[in-house]
Amino acid sequence: MAASDYKGPAFDSSELKELKEKIVNACLILDREGITDGFGHVSVRIPQQAALLTIAQVSPGCAALEKVVLLDFDGNFLGGAKPAPYEWPIHACIMRARPDVMSVCHTHSKWSALFSVLKKGLRPLHMYGKFLPMAGAPIYPNAGLITSVERGDALAGALQDGAAVLLRAHGDAVVGASVEQAILRTVQLAFLGELLHLAAVHGEPLYMTEEELTTFAGDRSFPARPWEYYLSRLGERRIA
Amino acid sequence: MAANAKDIPTIDSSELKELTDKLVTACHILDHEEVTDGYGHVSVRVPGADAFITIANISPGAVTRERLIMQDFAGKYIDGAATPPNEWPIHACILKARPEIVSVAHTHSKWSTIFSVLPIKLKPLHHYGKFLSADGPPVYEGVGLVRTIERGDELAAALGSGPAVLMRAHGDAVVGESIEQMIERTTRLAMLGEWNHLALLHGQPKYLSAEELEVYNADQRFPLRGWEYFVGRLNGRKNQLE
Repeated sequence: MAASDYKGPAFDSSELKELKEKIVNACLILDREGITDGFGHVSVRIPQQAALLTIAQVSPGCAALEKVVLLDFDGNFLGGAKPAPYEWPIHACIMRARPDVMSVCHTHSKWSALFSVLKKGLRPLHMYGKFLPMAGAPIYPNAGLITSVERGDALAGALQDGAAVLLRAHGDAVVGASVEQAILRTVQLAFLGELLHLAAVHGEPLYMTEEELTTFAGDRSFPARPWEYYLSRLGERRIA
Repeated sequence: MAANAKDIPTIDSSELKELTDKLVTACHILDHEEVTDGYGHVSVRVPGADAFITIANISPGAVTRERLIMQDFAGKYIDGAATPPNEWPIHACILKARPEIVSVAHTHSKWSTIFSVLPIKLKPLHHYGKFLSADGPPVYEGVGLVRTIERGDELAAALGSGPAVLMRAHGDAVVGESIEQMIERTTRLAMLGEWNHLALLHGQPKYLSAEELEVYNADQRFPLRGWEYFVGRLNGRKNQLE
């Protein structure tokens, strides 16, 4: 890998304190909400830099400030805990391809895993699904870990300009313009998967139409409200 | 008769303290019982006024007394926290149309949602469903947030004189003549939805008949036991009923 030309704030700088706290809380939230098991990670882009913060090899539910790592988009270690997660290319490749994305969540959500191996698409049947296309979240077809830039780029290609991609026999990757939005979408994607599972066993549900989705995608969304709620549910586990 | 705004007690007055405490507790119950997620709200009518109190842009599970807001039925701010929930017309329009109703809950209950998008009705198959009609709650088909009085009135019309209405691709609205009754109905609607789902996996369930529902509905002996139980399960959570 190329040597890093990172010129952003140092890992221990006060500038990164809030972002570090935010991704630790975000990881704890995904654990508390029953989305992640012992695996998965959340990342946040360092503003204006080709670099990100994520968690080193630790379960999201055990994330702590001492477990945060700073990496550039080539996977170079720039500070913090070691070793980097095997699947760092999920985060780096998506952020490189999508300048609008500030945060990426990768989970093994059972609801995403389920629809990743079924022909039935995970399609929006509740207005929470306004961030999905009508045909459902796209599926990245290659099973296995995303441990190379080549596979990370292929995953970013499957995501395209969307908000979420399912990873076959694996889980999902969900993006947002903020950590709060990525977390909200990740929780809502799981809720949608459960709803679709529950409804579809009884027959063909009424999905939202293209027109309805267009209308609701324009709606204001409120990531600050659920973020406050999710933090409140962390209780003593919340770190900041 | 409606009182003038100047005659309405303030949101933090001792007159309204019991109601506002109960409203906060009701929100925490719906969160604890996993009926609400980060969204939804509960309201209570201000006695004798065309006004109600609900939660101001906060999740039911995180609400405190300081985050309550009082509005009139036209949406005008009266007192309390500044930002009304986007969907205040759900409460205003139902309370306006139904003078006997004291409390309204709006949730994104997953059980209401699935039956809102299926051709199968959520029908009473246990006597917990005695407050429902034999063919189950109606579905309001207008997808999306209920942010206007026009849509709130449509929702109230879909509810009619009933206890609950499902909202397509969204959730439900449930009403009660007290906060306690609203909580009992909201939690039981979720239980019934789950039991309908489970039973339907095995075949056609035997539903309660209209005659049976009438018999059970006449029995109103236990309105408070459920409330006491739900409060007990909050187990010391902040702002619960003193």
